[in-house]
Amino acid sequence: MTSNFRNHVLIGLIVLLTAVTLISGCSNKPAAPAAPQHPDLSGLWLGNRGNWSMTRGAKLGTEPDVPYAPWALERIKGVIAGTGGSADADFANTNDPSLKYADPLGFPRQYQHPLKFKIVQTDNSVYQLWEWNKAWREIPLNKQHTEDPDISWYGESVGKWEGDTLVVDSIGFKDATWMDGVGHPHSEELRVIERMQRVDPETLRIDFTFEDPIAYTHPWTSTLTAKLVHDGKMTETVTTMSDELHYRERFLNQKPTIPIRR
Amino acid sequence: MNHRGFGRFWMGVGALLISVSAFAHHGRALIYDAKKEVTVKGTVTEFVWFNPHVQIGIDGMDDKGVRHHWLIEASSTGYLSQRGWTRKSLKAGETITITFNPGLNPGRNATLTGDLVKVVLPDGKELPK
Repeated sequence: MTSNFRNHVLIGLIVLLTAVTLISGCSNKPAAPAAPQHPDLSGLWLGNRGNWSMTRGAKLGTEPDVPYAPWALERIKGVIAGTGGSADADFANTNDPSLKYADPLGFPRQYQHPLKFKIVQTDNSVYQLWEWNKAWREIPLNKQHTEDPDISWYGESVGKWEGDTLVVDSIGFKDATWMDGVGHPHSEELRVIERMQRVDPETLRIDFTFEDPIAYTHPWTSTLTAKLVHDGKMTETVTTMSDELHYRERFLNQKPTIPIRR
Repeated sequence: MNHRGFGRFWMGVGALLISVSAFAHHGRALIYDAKKEVTVKGTVTEFVWFNPHVQIGIDGMDDKGVRHHWLIEASSTGYLSQRGWTRKSLKAGETITITFNPGLNPGRNATLTGDLVKVVLPDGKELPK
């Protein structure tokens, strides 16, 4: 084989490889999609109580922007609020289930407690951990609700990303809880839609829509703003029925109606 | 004003009307005299790191020189932790100056009660409610 022939073969191979490279580079085949980059909502947050709008300073049942259905108006007739969210709060005689029975606050009332919550974010789920009474929920992403969800204190939540907003859809709530300390009622048909946005590095905004065709004639809304807590930690702040009755005995001179831990 | 705008209007009104304490475990208006503050220098008899409310017992004299025992409530352990308190912030036997809103009715065994405003330690350090 002459050197001239070898040179021609080498040049041919180089031309062929270059052509293959160019053709493959110019093909219309799409590149593998990059994993979507969602905003990072994770962190320790403290709700800004001044922005919590479910207790609006008005007397329960008279707020002009809460669309009560007759069912709800009937239900609130017996409400005796015990927390400061109501101007008429009567702690000694309240029938607030979280105070009278030490029931879980439930949802969405859990947000109203003035302690922190933590958000833990993964590709498949977002977890929300509340400091008060060590409550938590999982928000699976891109899943459907189960066909017949259990009725529970904190309901069943699913979530999805819409741009920079995490949209959480929750159903299946036990109707024994109040929506807030004032006593807004809800039925088991309550659906809560939350739109969570990190509006700046320090601020989380949650817009709520409450749908409950039994309790309210049409959906109504509320907003919570939370600030990032940089140096806090999650404490254990749990209150039991014994704790509640022990406190009432000492400060209100109310005799416990059941045996309590001493 | 549309529905959402109206809601935000009321949100603002609510923010103005509702004080910070309004979101505590219980309403205070029927339990404590929020318009009156009592300051007592006295001896801690107990410091109970407990929920729903941390409790402080104190022996001291009122402004007429009469000796009393008071039982003062503070916020929850979690809330106080955020504000610099620990379960060892106070101990029985130490002298503190404590300010509180007095209870409208006595507690168990006719004990005088109060709702904490602040504690000042002997070194001048202040522990907020």
